[in-house]
Amino acid sequence: MSDGAARPPAVQVFDVKKSFEHGLVKALNGVTLTIGQGEWVALVGPSGCGKSTLLHLLAALDTPTSGRILVNGQDISSLPNQNRYRRFEVGLVFQLHNLLPNLTAIQNVEVAMFGNGLSHGEQGERARGLLEAVSLSHRQKVRPPGLSGGERQRLAIARALANNPSIILADEPTGALDSASAEGVLDLFQRIRAERGVTILLVTHDREVAAAADRIIQMRDGRIVETAASAPAG
Amino acid sequence: MYFVSLTARNVYTRKVRSSLTGIAIAISIAVVVTMGVLTHSLRRTAVSILRTGDADFSVAQKGVSDVIYSSVDEKDVELIRSYEGVENAIGVLVDMTKLDEDHPFFLKLGIPPADLEGFGVQIVAGRKYEPDSQTEMIIGYRAARDLGKTVGDSITIDDDTYDIVGIYATGQVFADAASMTSLVGVQTEERKPGVVTLVFVRITEGADIDGLRSLIEHERPELATVRTESEFGRIDRNLELISAANIGVSALALIIGAVSILNTMVLSVFERTREFGVLRAIGWSRMRVLLCVMMEALVVSLSGAMVGVGAGFIAVEILARSPDLVGVFQPDYPGGVFGRALAIAFGMAFVGALYPAARAALLRPLDAIRHE
Ligand SMILES: Nc1ncnc2c1ncn2[C@@H]1O[C@H](COP(=O)(O)OP(=O)(O)OP(=O)(O)O)[C@@H](O)[C@H]1O
Ligand SMILES: [Mg+2]
Repeated sequence: MSDGAARPPAVQVFDVKKSFEHGLVKALNGVTLTIGQGEWVALVGPSGCGKSTLLHLLAALDTPTSGRILVNGQDISSLPNQNRYRRFEVGLVFQLHNLLPNLTAIQNVEVAMFGNGLSHGEQGERARGLLEAVSLSHRQKVRPPGLSGGERQRLAIARALANNPSIILADEPTGALDSASAEGVLDLFQRIRAERGVTILLVTHDREVAAAADRIIQMRDGRIVETAASAPAG
Repeated sequence: MYFVSLTARNVYTRKVRSSLTGIAIAISIAVVVTMGVLTHSLRRTAVSILRTGDADFSVAQKGVSDVIYSSVDEKDVELIRSYEGVENAIGVLVDMTKLDEDHPFFLKLGIPPADLEGFGVQIVAGRKYEPDSQTEMIIGYRAARDLGKTVGDSITIDDDTYDIVGIYATGQVFADAASMTSLVGVQTEERKPGVVTLVFVRITEGADIDGLRSLIEHERPELATVRTESEFGRIDRNLELISAANIGVSALALIIGAVSILNTMVLSVFERTREFGVLRAIGWSRMRVLLCVMMEALVVSLSGAMVGVGAGFIAVEILARSPDLVGVFQPDYPGGVFGRALAIAFGMAFVGALYPAARAALLRPLDAIRHE
């Protein structure tokens, strides 16, 4: 915050609460956090503590019961166009890759680009570039069932990057991977952050995965209980 | 990848189901085309009876099942002729009879030779028949060509043998494939003395045609006047029935097609709930999801329709060769039939896909992603 022209933080969450089932289930109990531009934050905590819920709110897939969320300085409860936001501001990566099984690798990336303003040729070019970035150039024509778990997750990341979002929201992206594949995915996150300056919020159970981040936020029962710089991996 | 490629991909992925739905559509469309061509052609055939004469309008008995059974008193022909504004009224007795297996519906028109010119008949070879001759006949040039007959030959119709004394031309396809002989002769033979089937009326220039028509129908309530094809139902109930059946069958086909699309698309959307949820989560709009489902339905429906039009063609050609219909049914393919098939295919896709498409579009992405 050294000068007034600085970009606002990537994510600002103010006392957000979220309950389900008419208030019977309190998934988030007043979460406040800030994530800086280009920062990589890991969100950890026991099952059911509200990690995914928070991620969904940030992706504008759901709305908070109370509280405010600003992404790049904009209040996302008053978005003029949610689709635009989900397409251009955030890139989503799920635990299960959620790719379309009948489309080839490159088509799975292109499917995210319909109507994004690029020409057909530009879309194809960008998709090829992204596959190259996630080291899947040689697998362009393969459909997801023919890819390994790690490759699928890398493809999902390429799709999340399809429209150049500034923030990647990943929910247990390594949860279904063996450790070697998980490492490949983490390297990829590292690289895309270095190359593109994207902000990353990564939900994980795994301490080792969390250690790859700049900062670890620990949640329990819908609250943040601890925030710490991650120990240098060692 | 283009959006249509995605659509094609999705349809192709469900080959068996898409094909089965396509077949249902194809059958519906084939029925629509066949009925449409049949109705149109029968109407054209029936209407061409009216068109054998060069007239401003025709008069026949009202409400008969088939125009061929119309019976108008010759006195009424005189009456009509006497009206102011009528230039000429010609009474014609139409007999439809079987010539041979290839020509089961051969037309014989009984008309006084004096009226031939007024009727638009030109003798191109030979001469006219005598006014009261029961053995002389002239045939249209198309009939002559078709039957291989010329002046001087004889022709046997219904056990009666006629001498062909002339060949004529009218410029009306139907009349040129028919034959003409003396009115008295046909009346005697058909035991219909003093009766004609149709009256062809020509008016003087500037006369009030509608006024004349209402005058005739007012003074002779048992008669109906016909000017256009659409009025033809007034003197030919069968045609009206076929037209009604055509509309009914088309509507039914539309419903069946739409229901099969509905069935397929509901299943397909249900199976892909999660997929649509993911697409919405990565920024697809509701509109795009809606479009995606609609386009798939449209692709299936239009492909089915193409096959259906082809099948309809084949059915029509087979029908046209069926012994019961040779002669009356000469297939004629109006553009409107294909336009209608296309419109129905669009209609089926739209009606059938609307609900599943809306369902897919209205899914909450989170619920959809959780869907197993
Ligand atoms: N749509 C929903 N309806 C009702 N309850 C919900 C809904 N979504 C989440 N919850 C509840 O909210 C709480 C937080 O869920 P959330 O999915 O955010 O946990 P999590 O931290 O992601 O857990 P996990 O590590 O198992 O993925 C849980 O008790 C869960 O049952
Ligand atoms: Mg979770």
